[in-house]
Amino acid sequence: MRSAAPDRAFSPRRAPSVSYIVVVPEDHIVSAERLAQRLPRAADRAVKIIVACAGQPADLGMLQRTVANAEFLLAPVGTTAEELRELAMRRAPGDIVTLVDGASPRAMSDRSSALRV
Amino acid sequence: MEADARGPELSIIVPARNAARTIVAALRSVRASSLPAESYELIVVDDASDDETASLAARYADVVMRLAGRPAGPAYARNRGAEVATGALLAFVDSDVALLPETLPRLVADLARDPMVGAVSAGYGDGEARNFFSQYWNLLLRLGMQRGARGGAHHIACCAVVRRGAFFTSGLYDEWRFRTGCLEDVELGIRLATHGYRVLVSTNNGVARLSETSFADVTRAVWMRGRLLTRSLGYRRTRHIASGDVMYTLTRPGIPGLLFGGALALCAETTPRTGAPIVIALAAALICLVNLPTFRFFARERGLGFTVLAMPAHLVAQATAVAALISGWLLRHFIGDGVPDATTQAYAEVGAEMWPPVPRQT
Repeated sequence: MRSAAPDRAFSPRRAPSVSYIVVVPEDHIVSAERLAQRLPRAADRAVKIIVACAGQPADLGMLQRTVANAEFLLAPVGTTAEELRELAMRRAPGDIVTLVDGASPRAMSDRSSALRV
Repeated sequence: MEADARGPELSIIVPARNAARTIVAALRSVRASSLPAESYELIVVDDASDDETASLAARYADVVMRLAGRPAGPAYARNRGAEVATGALLAFVDSDVALLPETLPRLVADLARDPMVGAVSAGYGDGEARNFFSQYWNLLLRLGMQRGARGGAHHIACCAVVRRGAFFTSGLYDEWRFRTGCLEDVELGIRLATHGYRVLVSTNNGVARLSETSFADVTRAVWMRGRLLTRSLGYRRTRHIASGDVMYTLTRPGIPGLLFGGALALCAETTPRTGAPIVIALAAALICLVNLPTFRFFARERGLGFTVLAMPAHLVAQATAVAALISGWLLRHFIGDGVPDATTQAYAEVGAEMWPPVPRQT
């Protein structure tokens, strides 16, 4: 029987690349401190972080300093949360992309390191 | 069911391949569930789509996994989603089905009632199929589900909740032999039962299929299911466990059909040439007679006109089913069941910890 995906089976193996998208809708405010708390503890891994905002947040400079390695996607005012997610997804390069709303109480987990069977 | 520090209790996994037309409606229906939003996570596994599936899925998903390379099928995608899921319960929902708000809570409640229940499936509802063949296929699936619901391990992957422990103990979906998206659920149901878990179909809890089905889709599905059934599972062995599968709905009238067909051929041999209309009438009567329960169901659900129109399609589907069963049987006896190649087997247990993931060997 042929392999289900021969190109996968024989291509070089690597750790999955991971991206995180934080969605900040127009009517939400995310403090730099809270944003830093929410981001994954994955210092040993190349993680792409995208903060997608509808409009320009008041404390953008502080947010950018706090999360220096994040890419900020500033969509026009009025962009919905769903549209922000879709726009950010088009930019996110990862094999595994985790999306979280800025106002959501759920913390981000590093899924690639939480793999368990 | 409540979220705790370890994460949500339920992980909803949606395998998707070129599902841009249906995935938004499917994910909206999940989000419209009466489950509290913090009690579940929604994981979409994009199986190398050529369209906008991944970005559309991101509108509603908590996690989007993007599998590159060649598509490897829904069994592979579900397994990869399960590997990154954190919930104690795993819900598998196809990207072309719409759930009712109560569908998932009912399945979770069914699991909670009995710890020996390993999986509960929702089955197929009436749906809102517009074209003729979608309606025909939906009816076939529903008829099978109604017949098979009283049976044993009948797992239906279009919408099902499985205990995490049961899923991994049983060895996940078989992504080697069942990569076409046919019968992998039936096969998992058999393994769950082998491991001592009960597998249930939740009655009156159907989901609606969103995708449109063409006649070619019907015959392709029947062909693939038939070949896998006899090649990899065994027709008679599986009949007792998954008697509700569409293949049994199609082939159940096989033996009386052959007997009547033989009698008809004998009749035709002795009938003068001028009696051709009589032979045609007898043939039509034969088809109706052997499929009477199916056609009665069609008539009850969609009316007499639909049933008359469905008869030729049903006959072709039955002929395809028989040819596929014979083809699968021949493959099994002359070539054998499929096995993964040695090189890929060597990587098979790595799962999603390394990328790109290699299919697991069950």
